[in-house]
Amino acid sequence: MVLFFTIIICFIASFDKRILFHHYFGAFIKAAILVAVSFIIWDVFFTAKGVWWFNTDYTLGIVIAGLPLEEWLFFICIPFSCVFTYFCFDKFFKWDKLSAFNNLIVFFSIIVCAVTALLHYDKIYTLVTAIVTIAALTYLHFVSRADWIAKASLIFTILMLGFFPVNGVLTGTGLANPIVNYNPGDFLGIRLGTIPVEDAVYGYTQFLLVLYFFKKFQNIQDEKSK
Amino acid sequence: MNLLIVLGVFIAMEGATWLIHKYVMHGFLWILHKDHHDHSSKGDLEKNDYFFVIFAIPTIALMYFGTVDSINHLFYIGLGIMLYGMTYFFVHDVFIHQRIKYFTNTKNSYFLALRRAHKQHHKHIRKEDGECFGFLYVPLKYFKMYSNSAKK
Repeated sequence: MVLFFTIIICFIASFDKRILFHHYFGAFIKAAILVAVSFIIWDVFFTAKGVWWFNTDYTLGIVIAGLPLEEWLFFICIPFSCVFTYFCFDKFFKWDKLSAFNNLIVFFSIIVCAVTALLHYDKIYTLVTAIVTIAALTYLHFVSRADWIAKASLIFTILMLGFFPVNGVLTGTGLANPIVNYNPGDFLGIRLGTIPVEDAVYGYTQFLLVLYFFKKFQNIQDEKSK
Repeated sequence: MNLLIVLGVFIAMEGATWLIHKYVMHGFLWILHKDHHDHSSKGDLEKNDYFFVIFAIPTIALMYFGTVDSINHLFYIGLGIMLYGMTYFFVHDVFIHQRIKYFTNTKNSYFLALRRAHKQHHKHIRKEDGECFGFLYVPLKYFKMYSNSAKK
């Protein structure tokens, strides 16, 4: 399956002395599972409703709660690669000054999501993605006062290099039939290549949330080891 | 025509900001704005939060009603407010508070004056005192102050 290649490189590199990401595997797993639970509920619900469905010709055939095994693993593998990338960039580059752009990014994103949600409230994938994104950004920016939103956004943009090939194949680039299929009535219909634009926003929010909890558990761990 | 609306709204927003800041923030909503002047509470983004809401809500409403049937002038008014909001955050966070060093050594007298006026406003910590309520518009005297020194 496609998914496994995404994590192998990151997994091996985690043990590199300069990176030492494996110290934080525990923190990552806790964060990923916490976010995965809510996103899997969302996923099961959408699969059951027929918003999207999976072509089992391309999967192992093990299906749990309507989702192929690979989809379950996706919620650990993809965040793993993303958080790992963030961890590396954060370690090697001094990008903290980007926090000056937090307001600007959050302001723009919330307006775009809110207007899109209002205009397309009848398309459930669009609506739910926009609402979850607004809620996540509002919480991170105003309640938890995260100072890393701009930094994470830039890194997510870089991660698009990986997101495009992986999600591209899943949504049908280069395949006879897509692995993941979407009900045309439930999303905007704007595709980046074969990828619905909602997928990118969904990925962004998932990334921000996993990162939030990862940082939280990472801090707890660092406090303890002092 | 649409471009003119955007531009007009953008300019009008500077006036609106001035009015809101002077008569609302330093008026009956002083309680919300006070901590920005005397730093009585922790954190440094309090004031921006209100600006955030003030800019975002009308923008969302206007953009929605401006596109729900077909794109009309309301959309462009919303766009003007959004661009003003974005400029506000850009100038305030990036430039005035100098979080990115690139702009620190500027010799441009408008930028220097802008920063000076913002500081001047912050010198006062009481509701009744205050000057320089505008944001992008800078009183001429500050502008002169720097354009003269630039010539020397």
